[in-house]
Amino acid sequence: MIRFEGVTFRYPSNDLLRLDGVSFEIEEGELCLVIGPTGSGKSTLLGSVNNLVPRFTGGTRTGRIVIDDRDTTMLHTRELATTVGYVGQDPLAGFVTDNVEEELAYSMEQLGFPEAEMRRRVEETLDLLGIADLRRRALRTLSGGQQQRVAIGSVLASSPKVLVLDEPTSALDPIAAEEVLALISRLVRDLGTTVLLAEHRMERVIEFADSVLLVSPDGSVAHGPVRDVLATAPIRPPLVELGISQGWEPLPLTIREGRRLAAPQRRTWAEHPPTLPRPFAPGSVTLTARGIVVKYPSVVAVRGVDLDLHRGQVTALMGRNGCGKSSLMWAIQGAGNKSAGRVESAGQVSLVPQTASDLLYLASVEAECAAGDAVAGAAAGTTMALLRTLVPTIDADAHPRDLSEGQKIAVVLAVELVGNPDVVLLDEPTRGLDYAAKAVLGETIQRMADDGRAVLIATHDVEMAARVCSRVVVMAEGEIVSDGPARDVLASSQLLATQVAKVANPVPLLTVEEYDRASR
Amino acid sequence: MIKRYFLPRPLHPFAWWGFALAIAVAASTTTNPLFLLGTIAVVTLVTLARRGDNPWAKGYKLYLLLGLFVVAFRVAFRVVFGGGDGPTVLFTLPEIPLPDFVRGIRLLGPVSLESLLYGLYDGLRLATMIICVGAANSLANPKRLLAALPSALYELGTILIVSFSVFPQLGESFLRVMRVRKLRRRQSTMADGGGRKTRRERLGVVETIIIPVLSDALERSIALAASMEVRGYGRSGVATGRERLTSTAAGLGGVMLLAVWSYFLLARPGIGPSVLGVNLLEAALLVGGVAAVVAALRMAGRHVRRTRYRRDRWGVAETLTVACGLVMALIVHYLRVIGDPTALNPSITPLVWPTLTFPLLAALVVAALPAFITPPPSLTAGRPTMEGVS
Amino acid sequence: MPRVDDRIDIPAPLVGVQLGWRSWSLIVASSLLGLFALGWPLLLPAVDMPTEHAADAPFILAAMLPLILLLVVAQISDGGLDSKALAMLGVLSAINAVIRPALGAGTAGVESVFFLIILAGRVFGPGFGFLLGYTSLFASALLTAGVGPWLPFQMMCAGWVGLAAGLLPRRVRGKGEIAMLMGLGVVAAYVFGVLLNLWFWPFVTGVGVDGVATGSLDYVPGAPFLDNLTSFLWFTLLTSTAGWDTGRAITTAVAILVLGRPLLTVLRRAAGMSRISRS
Repeated sequence: MIRFEGVTFRYPSNDLLRLDGVSFEIEEGELCLVIGPTGSGKSTLLGSVNNLVPRFTGGTRTGRIVIDDRDTTMLHTRELATTVGYVGQDPLAGFVTDNVEEELAYSMEQLGFPEAEMRRRVEETLDLLGIADLRRRALRTLSGGQQQRVAIGSVLASSPKVLVLDEPTSALDPIAAEEVLALISRLVRDLGTTVLLAEHRMERVIEFADSVLLVSPDGSVAHGPVRDVLATAPIRPPLVELGISQGWEPLPLTIREGRRLAAPQRRTWAEHPPTLPRPFAPGSVTLTARGIVVKYPSVVAVRGVDLDLHRGQVTALMGRNGCGKSSLMWAIQGAGNKSAGRVESAGQVSLVPQTASDLLYLASVEAECAAGDAVAGAAAGTTMALLRTLVPTIDADAHPRDLSEGQKIAVVLAVELVGNPDVVLLDEPTRGLDYAAKAVLGETIQRMADDGRAVLIATHDVEMAARVCSRVVVMAEGEIVSDGPARDVLASSQLLATQVAKVANPVPLLTVEEYDRASR
Repeated sequence: MIKRYFLPRPLHPFAWWGFALAIAVAASTTTNPLFLLGTIAVVTLVTLARRGDNPWAKGYKLYLLLGLFVVAFRVAFRVVFGGGDGPTVLFTLPEIPLPDFVRGIRLLGPVSLESLLYGLYDGLRLATMIICVGAANSLANPKRLLAALPSALYELGTILIVSFSVFPQLGESFLRVMRVRKLRRRQSTMADGGGRKTRRERLGVVETIIIPVLSDALERSIALAASMEVRGYGRSGVATGRERLTSTAAGLGGVMLLAVWSYFLLARPGIGPSVLGVNLLEAALLVGGVAAVVAALRMAGRHVRRTRYRRDRWGVAETLTVACGLVMALIVHYLRVIGDPTALNPSITPLVWPTLTFPLLAALVVAALPAFITPPPSLTAGRPTMEGVS
Repeated sequence: MPRVDDRIDIPAPLVGVQLGWRSWSLIVASSLLGLFALGWPLLLPAVDMPTEHAADAPFILAAMLPLILLLVVAQISDGGLDSKALAMLGVLSAINAVIRPALGAGTAGVESVFFLIILAGRVFGPGFGFLLGYTSLFASALLTAGVGPWLPFQMMCAGWVGLAAGLLPRRVRGKGEIAMLMGLGVVAAYVFGVLLNLWFWPFVTGVGVDGVATGSLDYVPGAPFLDNLTSFLWFTLLTSTAGWDTGRAITTAVAILVLGRPLLTVLRRAAGMSRISRS
């Protein structure tokens, strides 16, 4: 269905080859998962399928691309609109019109579909996506998951043969992401559409995937069956990681497979319970919040929350979207709305907001760092040095908005850390990060805690929480519903358990390292 | 049959514009204050009865206020800059002497009733026309209007559609940046003990807001462009050089004909024969110019193969609406040319009380009909629900 | 298998709107007609022509002009309005439509619509600036209840401002560039004010008829050029030059001075920015 023959690409004004002699072939009806570390040219590869790269982006490409037995190498992107449907990361940014129905029809209008057929297809697409009740709603008022479903529907309406999705869930919370991924897997099964999907929440789709395409930073790719490619891939979900370290054959891709493979181990543990890592001993209380209430005109976001943060402890703040996590953080920091309650803190409280790029408005990373020095009254170069310890490879002359999501957070964090805060609050820092970037962030957070700071992370990411947090606070409807050591909260919960915890249940082990150590 | 006709639906936007512009044309030829007030009342009635529930519909009030302002402005102008020149001097304000080089300008001085009335009548005429345009704007959803544009103007329509959908997002982006900015400011004052100004503060309030919001918006526009490209935007079918030349030539020719027409209209009226009060030469130039421009527009858009989803249809109700406007305009035109011109322009010197003659009353009744004989607008178009605040 | 040429080489894309000679000829023709439509109250007396229809002219011309503006837009977009220019026009028009009522209009003549048109015209070229002038005012009028017979004239004048910004010498950079743009802003503010007043004048003051109840600032058809010019100058001086136009000039100049450098940087970055994402 899709065939790349020796495709090589580089951007203009840059000699780096983003794709280097890439050849692969994807069969009709295949769901191919595209993986690779951030900056490896995943998006470049996906964009090449419908010639968005280089037609739209500029650049030089050689090699041939054949889609559905048609040589599409030289075609314009718009000529491929009926063949390739392409969905990007942020659905809202890609909407041309402002309500659901018109958005679904947009593509067909461009392609000159007859009116009657357009009407029929819009109705069908509405039903296919289960969004018929939203048909007249303004796109802006939909939830993230609904928006992404409309975005997918808007390319499906003109029934393309190939669907290309570039990290469609990176801007969504887990429940919305689940919705979207369920939709994609249903499309593959019911419609037989060929799908190329880049997705960092690999564990959710891996069981539906027929093959994996691994893109390396040097521009080469490896394409093959899921287990073969994952065995050598630098990024893989915790379950696969566990399978490799335990030497399981074949590699488990689902929890069910994992549990079956771990059954003997669990029986051993039932007789000889493993020694668990010692619980973390937190330091003294550095921030006390009492009776925090945050009220907006139509909602009460936080209803009287009491929270203590301890020196040297990393705490995860979890709960579904809209449960008051952000509001609580902003209220604790002091910049946000707070209707009642008081916060006592020995030192400075820093907050890294969800959209870190809002804080970056200077022309280069260096300028941001210099401004950071000036704010903190630190010697010139302090912030830059700090940033280098977080991300050694960062380009000081780069425009902050050109950085990757993880690097942006690092810059904002460095600027905050120069002020030497006692408490650091991070609002969903893992949004849009891949496994490698999350690992780097995890180390950074661990280092902050080791320096004696109290860290609070609002996150949906249970793996992240399991790896770096020793305490987990769960909120619902503006109240704290559970608060305790990470092991107790995460291992006992249905929803918040990590993949390893689900495999090891009832033994409360959270991460691959813990499992390995316990099984030795 | 009747039931089906009255099923709620939005009328074709061109119908409302046609109706409102015809009434504006009728109003432009009269200074009868009673008739003008009646027209405003009729237009308001139709607007209130048949406007939708979109944000534009609520703009009508602003046009009414603007009309009021225009009337007040005109009358005030009469008082300040020479309100005399009439037999009935109402009162005299102390005139402010001006130097000689200011030829013919008079400040204050005597104020006559005739002068004030002239300002009032003419201001009312102007206000009526503005209100008619406002009514069209409230009655016809601009988005549907843009969707009904001919295909040569498709790009213009798309630009405006994009700006409509970006408009509310900008507000959200702005609020978010404001909130984040607060974070930074608070922290820096804490670090300095609130003392000297930091560089970030010195960078300026506006800059720290505008730069992030603008960068955000521009990045969004690139994403949007990519998404349009992916979904097939771009003119399909390119006209040959010859066809493009013809269309440019027709456009230029049209512009020139219209230029000549406007010159004749303003500077040399009445050359050539007229029929029923319409000058044939002027009419020929106007029709020729408009036809050439329209032809150029059609030629430019002929090669574009695009279709419209749920295009607004032109039905009986649309024809009736426009007809109501046209009947009013025709009655007024008939009165002006053949019938009773004094009814349209009541004399000020000598002062005569304006009257609403039967034909004028009939015109108003006809103009009010669309409030009753058109299908009502479909409301409840997607009420936004409250989004969870996190 | 025969090898076809499979190399695509696309230079770094730039945002802009190409103006061919066809577009230019229509822009010039429509501008001349537009100038006549604005300036007839003074132009006709200047060549000693009597004026008729003076009371209706603002409306008749306002009804004719939209057709011509649409023709110009159709011609320019026919030449090549790619998706990037189109999306950028849409977004910048929306920004203008937001800041116009938010910062200006009503508060002491603070008119904020110009500086972005000037800066964007400078960065993206005359064709883009011209269209942005049109679409900004159009979008702003539609969004904030400003549709009226004045709209076509405002659109046309704003288009000229954007066009002029795009035509300024390219090589000037740094402080000189900002100074030049500020100069354009000030000139544009006053010229815009005077031209629109020229249209507003017979519209707002009324037209003196046959010696009946003439206000001394009225447009008097058939009167000598000098008389009408004096009336007009007084009208424009009293109603707007001192207040609105100066306010507009100051706002525009200050906005360009304070925001010019960073905004030009942001816009220039956007002009070459088209990677679909950062990975």
